[in-house]
Amino acid sequence: MSVLKRVQQWATFARIWHVYDATWQNPFQSAELLKKYLMGIHKPIYHPMNDCGDHVIVINSLDIALPGNEWAKRVYFHHTGYPGGATWTLAWELHRKDPTMILKKAVYNSMDGNLQRRYTMERLHIFPDGNVPPELMGNVSNQIRQIRPMPKRLDHYTKEEVEKFPKIIDYPKDYILR
Amino acid sequence: MTTNKSLFLIPKFITTPSQNGVGRYVCQLQRVVLKFCKNHGSSRGIREFIEYDLLNFANKNPEVVVYLKPRRHRGPVIKAEYLNGDDQIVFCHNNTREEIAKWLNLLRTQSGNHDGTRLRKLWHTDYPSIQGPWTPYTFRDPALNLAEFPNEELSRPLDQPKTATEELDELFKKQQESEVAESSEVK
Repeated sequence: MSVLKRVQQWATFARIWHVYDATWQNPFQSAELLKKYLMGIHKPIYHPMNDCGDHVIVINSLDIALPGNEWAKRVYFHHTGYPGGATWTLAWELHRKDPTMILKKAVYNSMDGNLQRRYTMERLHIFPDGNVPPELMGNVSNQIRQIRPMPKRLDHYTKEEVEKFPKIIDYPKDYILR
Repeated sequence: MTTNKSLFLIPKFITTPSQNGVGRYVCQLQRVVLKFCKNHGSSRGIREFIEYDLLNFANKNPEVVVYLKPRRHRGPVIKAEYLNGDDQIVFCHNNTREEIAKWLNLLRTQSGNHDGTRLRKLWHTDYPSIQGPWTPYTFRDPALNLAEFPNEELSRPLDQPKTATEELDELFKKQQESEVAESSEVK
């Protein structure tokens, strides 16, 4: 292999680091999105037998949003292998114990159970908040767009913006402002 | 150790020995041996071929050496030997004269023995891509090179409809602008 071809090979199979903000995102829909980046399905060179998956850093996994009443109803099953070793943990309990676990399991379960799955999971780095080690964040060169927009809360607007906002109605005279 | 290797066809790419056919063509089939029985019915087709067609074949293809090998009470076989050292054995039990002709034509036009192989691509090119193979950096937005990560603007989903708040804000701004324009006209 000539020098040029070798460099071409490195360039084509270079691993890219992506960052994904999980704030207010459904972890199960996010998993379907992140899995494509982790396995390299988004690349035109993808083939199940070539190793072209990217790294994904997920931040703010503490702030994921489960749909409906799934915090109370979703159950994670674990069995130690010993008699009576079965445990059922509710999603909110699991999230309290480890805020990265729900997203991790969602991504793990979204992929087929083949030999590659464990190695693909090694490329997923989940952090409960925005504190990512700088040596990891330095690698990042792309941001994955969120699946749902993050609405801006009233207390996130500045006081000026709130005051400048157009008034639609006048309150009735007997309206009591709390 | 046992393997299942024999169960699968060997994957191969199309190749041409030393650019055969560019400039001149060298027939890759060098030698062909027709083995047959003079009495047995299963060799009838090959005997007919030898009687009626073989001389024509030999005249048309002077670069191929043809041997005939009669052998008693054994099945008819065509053995082909190629320039690259491959040899191929075709069993032509009960084949008709036309089938033998077709087999010989195949052997004559092949570049070697391709039995037990599978072509990974049905085409070949010396220049697979003019613009070069894809890399993660092709078609990449250059603005990303200067972006700081994590970036709130790059995280926002695309193709989202305007919120009521934004629309109201826009309406209000338009209204204000028109008021300013009117007041300036009055002056």
